[in-house]
Amino acid sequence: MAKAQVSTKCYVLLNGRSIGTVSDPMAYISEVRAMRRKGLISGEVNVAYIKKLNEVHVNADRGRVRKPYIIVENGQSKLTKELLEKLDKKEIDFNYLIRNGIVELLDAEEEENALVAMEESEITQESTHLEADPAAVFGFTISTSPFPETNAAPRELMSASYIKQAQGLYATNFNLRYESRAYVLYYPQAPMMTTATYESVKMAKHASGQNFVIAVATYYGYNMQDAIVINKGAVDRGLARSMFFKTYSDEERRYPGGQKDTFKIPPATTEGYLGEHAYSKLSEDGVIEPETEVSEGDVLIGKVAPPRFLEESIGTGGLEEKMRDDSVALKPGEKGIVDDVIFSESPGATRIVKVRVRSIKIPETGDKFGSRHGQKGVVALVVPEEDMPFTEQGIKPDLILNPHAIPGRMTFGYLLEAFGAKAGALKGVRQDGTSFTQRGRSRVEEYGRVMEAHGFEKSGEETLYNGVTGKVFGAKLFTGVLYYNRLHHMVSNKMQVRSRGTVQILTHQPTEGKARLGGLRFGEMERDVLVGYGASMAVKERMLDQSDKAPILICRDCGSTGYRDFAKRASVCPLCGSTNLVDVEISYAFKLLLDEIRSLHISPRIRVEE
Amino acid sequence: MQNKRVNLEVQPGEPVGMVAAQSLGEPGTQMVLGTFHFAGIASYAAIATSGLPRIIELLDAKKAPSSPLMRIMLKESYAKSFPKAEETAKRISEIRLRDIMRRMVENFAKGRILVILNQQAMQIAELTPGQVSAKLAKQLGVEARVGEHGNVILHTHIKNLKEVRAIAVRAAKTLINGIEGAGRAMVSQDEKTGEFYIDATGNGIDAVLDVEGVDPTRVYTNDAFAAYRVFGIEAARNVLASEVAKTLKDQDITVSDRHITLVADAMTASGTIKSIGRHGLVGSKESVFAKAAFEETVKHLINAAAFGQSDYMRGVTENILIGKQIPLGTGVVKLTIKNTQEHAKGRKEKE
Repeated sequence: MAKAQVSTKCYVLLNGRSIGTVSDPMAYISEVRAMRRKGLISGEVNVAYIKKLNEVHVNADRGRVRKPYIIVENGQSKLTKELLEKLDKKEIDFNYLIRNGIVELLDAEEEENALVAMEESEITQESTHLEADPAAVFGFTISTSPFPETNAAPRELMSASYIKQAQGLYATNFNLRYESRAYVLYYPQAPMMTTATYESVKMAKHASGQNFVIAVATYYGYNMQDAIVINKGAVDRGLARSMFFKTYSDEERRYPGGQKDTFKIPPATTEGYLGEHAYSKLSEDGVIEPETEVSEGDVLIGKVAPPRFLEESIGTGGLEEKMRDDSVALKPGEKGIVDDVIFSESPGATRIVKVRVRSIKIPETGDKFGSRHGQKGVVALVVPEEDMPFTEQGIKPDLILNPHAIPGRMTFGYLLEAFGAKAGALKGVRQDGTSFTQRGRSRVEEYGRVMEAHGFEKSGEETLYNGVTGKVFGAKLFTGVLYYNRLHHMVSNKMQVRSRGTVQILTHQPTEGKARLGGLRFGEMERDVLVGYGASMAVKERMLDQSDKAPILICRDCGSTGYRDFAKRASVCPLCGSTNLVDVEISYAFKLLLDEIRSLHISPRIRVEE
Repeated sequence: MQNKRVNLEVQPGEPVGMVAAQSLGEPGTQMVLGTFHFAGIASYAAIATSGLPRIIELLDAKKAPSSPLMRIMLKESYAKSFPKAEETAKRISEIRLRDIMRRMVENFAKGRILVILNQQAMQIAELTPGQVSAKLAKQLGVEARVGEHGNVILHTHIKNLKEVRAIAVRAAKTLINGIEGAGRAMVSQDEKTGEFYIDATGNGIDAVLDVEGVDPTRVYTNDAFAAYRVFGIEAARNVLASEVAKTLKDQDITVSDRHITLVADAMTASGTIKSIGRHGLVGSKESVFAKAAFEETVKHLINAAAFGQSDYMRGVTENILIGKQIPLGTGVVKLTIKNTQEHAKGRKEKE
């Protein structure tokens, strides 16, 4: 149809709002940029020409992620040698570079207009900017891990999220802090393979892992899929051992009407008294003492609270109100030692108690570990040291990784780190694994030379002996040193079992979740599977017998539900007065449904087949 | 052999529907959305909806599929000659004025509409301005003539702005050539038999059957409703089954044909095409509880109360709800315990 009219006008949008037009957008944006570089307008302003829309976008609002680049003009980087020297001597700082138009920060839109050279040697006449360092293309977390450029991108993303789950020395004053949950590694180590970013932010002072000696091998099928096998000897020597802190706290709350909670050992007359035994570890003030061993159900903070409803107190009539137990006990499945107790006061001038419980977490079957290359795994077996494979020198690996974990995921950095860190360990020097600093091939050659110099195989492979039989393995196995993180998912905090247990009040169905000692849901899809098998009794067992079975009485005459009158020793129908009732078993949920339908003034009737 | 056949038979009480639902549902979770692996192939299959959206479209029994297609096989003499096949395709291909014009200029003061034709498109469609003008005059009932540069001028003799505009809009939609609802037609060749056939992007299958050269016994559409209208419910069932099977096969998913045909049977068993969902199959369930447990609980309960409905507890869902053994699989077998006393009594009476 009609030809689209191409507007010659170029709109200028400030923070997304149209403020006018310009005839020559390129001249306009170079003028704005020149002014910004001279410091005439704020350095936080970004301007970009969007070719597709023929629009100029000027952005000065908050919330834009920006990244610094060195400005290049006429094929020359503006960050000269003289400036670098001055920077080294601390005569000038980063802000100087921004103020003087040597470095500028680009946002996502302006980046689209830039042609960035990765290195100074790559600058051409067209280049507009120079990357501060090739490694700066990565974010913070990834630039602290070695050789990210040699790994597949999705693995690098996964690695970034695992590093955040690592246990380590999160704060040096952890023993003065009352975190609701905290994990502290016993012996954190600086990684053998480090990076420039890792060093410049002094991450080693808050290290979150240990250097494991690894072997890439199978172990009797115990490290299938992503399972890992670890050395019990190493574990006994403190490998990956950590502390887990959990803080329980409570407050003496005030209620309208002058009542308040009291910290004390609840007297046996309180409502909901848990029995003498539960309070046995409390001291006179009602709070537990430090260094007391506690296990599930033990009360940490004894507290009595006024009754929840006023009606309750009217009945007693006396001055002494019946108090309610509101103590804090250790959650089911937990145990530990009381680390510290503090008393404090809230802004509302009520007393606060915090009890920090410590427990030692020794690596065990089911604990999760991860390297810095997106390779996570769960411990499947802790092998006695004597059964671990050993090298000629008698070195036994701390961890055995299944070789199948490497090729499909293309995490070459995993091998490179293990190899390089091994060379570093032989030399006794921590190695640099900053991205884009050296070609992979030349690194392999360099590390190989170190290996040879120390009497090791230059491929990193070693002859291993089977720890169980003492026989030599038919193939040489790749061994190395790798920085591993112990992630905070540990079985001891998650494991839970139940056969019979608590049920919900409303539906009479089993509760859900670990904290409520719940069962695992047998959901709709699981039910469909049993139905698909035609296993009718299995369905009934799951959905009724093991769930919310409820016996009810149904009137044969009118079909309503009845009750058992024990005084008259008869079943009675309250609607028609009949005593001709039948016992049936239905699900409580269905009884509830019938009750709810009745509450809507609808009378459902049940006809029973004999 | 006999044994093998007997072993393959489904036992009474086997929950075939459940198994079919699971067998189709599970692969659905790993299906890719629209696929892109047809890039570069000049075929209408390339633009057809595929993957999960197509399966949803089929099972939801959408009245208007997003990419209807027809495969029109030709009579022998036409199938062997490309020019003749091409000629037939031209006869089928639906061309409207808007497809062959560049733009329209309305002169409201004089009640005139100038249609500027797209010469390139005209050439491809092998049409002359004279043909277009004749067709427009006939269809719209206005005076039409060929103007300068091969353009067409319509004289409406109406000076009402609204009416002139209405005619212009109608003119753009006017069918100039081809068959209503046939879409664009294109000739392809079968790789195996060397036979020429026509692919078209429409579902106007009824009119296509009468076109000269078309073999009316070998015309296929991927639109189940079109098949239902023209050929009946059995054809619709076959379309549903083969389309689901084809879509799954495109994604390298293997599902036994038995499951697919069962679903297609269930959808068409009532004589019309019913969707799988609350407006179709589930909605036609007998049990109040089964319907209430699926969707729109309150609506079903209120209706049941208002009309005093009964639930005879014959289905699976309602029996699980109340906690009874389900009437499927091991639950279909009923055991009657021989009451020896009554049995003896009955025998005595007989004697």
